[in-house]
Amino acid sequence: MYGLLLIGISVVAGFLGSLLGLGGGIIVVPALTLLFNVDIRYAVAASLVSIIATSSGAAASFLRDHLTNLRVAVLLEVGTVAGAMTGFLIAARINSQMLFLLFGGFLFFSALMMLRKKQEQRALTDHPWSAALGLGSEFREETGELVAYKVAQVPLGLAAMFGAGVLSALLGIGSGIFKVLAMDTAMKLPLKVSSATSNFMIGVTATASAGAYFLRGDIRPEIAGPVALGIIVGSWVGARAMIHLPAQLIRKIFVVVLAVVSVQMILRGLAP
Amino acid sequence: MKTDSTLELKISFFLRAGVIFAGVLIALGWILKFRLHLNPFFNFQTYDPIPLQDLVSFHRQRGDYAALLSYAGLAALICLPLFRVLLTAFLFFRQREFALAAIASGVFLILLLAMGLGLEL
Repeated sequence: MYGLLLIGISVVAGFLGSLLGLGGGIIVVPALTLLFNVDIRYAVAASLVSIIATSSGAAASFLRDHLTNLRVAVLLEVGTVAGAMTGFLIAARINSQMLFLLFGGFLFFSALMMLRKKQEQRALTDHPWSAALGLGSEFREETGELVAYKVAQVPLGLAAMFGAGVLSALLGIGSGIFKVLAMDTAMKLPLKVSSATSNFMIGVTATASAGAYFLRGDIRPEIAGPVALGIIVGSWVGARAMIHLPAQLIRKIFVVVLAVVSVQMILRGLAP
Repeated sequence: MKTDSTLELKISFFLRAGVIFAGVLIALGWILKFRLHLNPFFNFQTYDPIPLQDLVSFHRQRGDYAALLSYAGLAALICLPLFRVLLTAFLFFRQREFALAAIASGVFLILLLAMGLGLEL
């Protein structure tokens, strides 16, 4: 019964995670700790598995539908992984409480800005790095409309990914939300592409952490098994749904999740 | 603008096959151990660190193949993004796009290093 309930919750987490380019940890960790009284360390370990399952499960569909920009993902993965390594190395010297407050506030502000945005702003010209690496691409909407796009401000996007990697290592949070924001706002990619590409990338940093947790014995099949199964199913459904959903609706759902995460971060920053 | 249809389809197939393989192993392990009215999370309310090696030896001694299947499935799932990065590097190299192949190879090496050092990124 408990296992089936966890699978059900994980299906929802996988669906939302694949739709928004996030890992699903914001649902899985509270569910495990508050609903099933699982120790936070086992819950965090299971959430890493949920990130990998969301990323790999949804990516297969997103790649086939050309929503994931493989070239952008490969380039930005360097920033994320290098940032995560840097974050790991400086973690002991940083006051994370202050960072929670600062970036919680930043995310809340971003949510408000996204809410005000009526239409997607697309790049009119390719950044020189984008032109050199052929980063611009296209995908087909459900209506049959072919959406071609260019990629702007690549160095800024790369720097933002580095920052996202540092923050995820310092604060122990998934960085999917920062990745989507950076691609949508700085690089001016369509939201569906930002979300699918973020989804593709989040599994990469999670795999290194998950390896460490797995060898330490913190990833237990009793918990991570049902989480993985539910997430795989949910992410497949989410990936299929994304192509049918209007970008504006996905943006609204993203803003709600952004606001929830920002409030969670501010509360953690204010905690004694 | 460059399109990578073949390359994307190959990686898509690899990920789909990997997820199905891992998912089947995890599902088999979970179904074999499934008891409707038991709370499988009861033993995890407090943290009890036991290394993976000891856990696997324990299950092997007891002949608990369901748990071993689950561990194999989880290992396959965790390694999937790592091999995806390697496959991406190889496919870009074959396409003679050396800049992207080098970037993907660099990411793969950093990940290997992080895993080897046991870093939690």
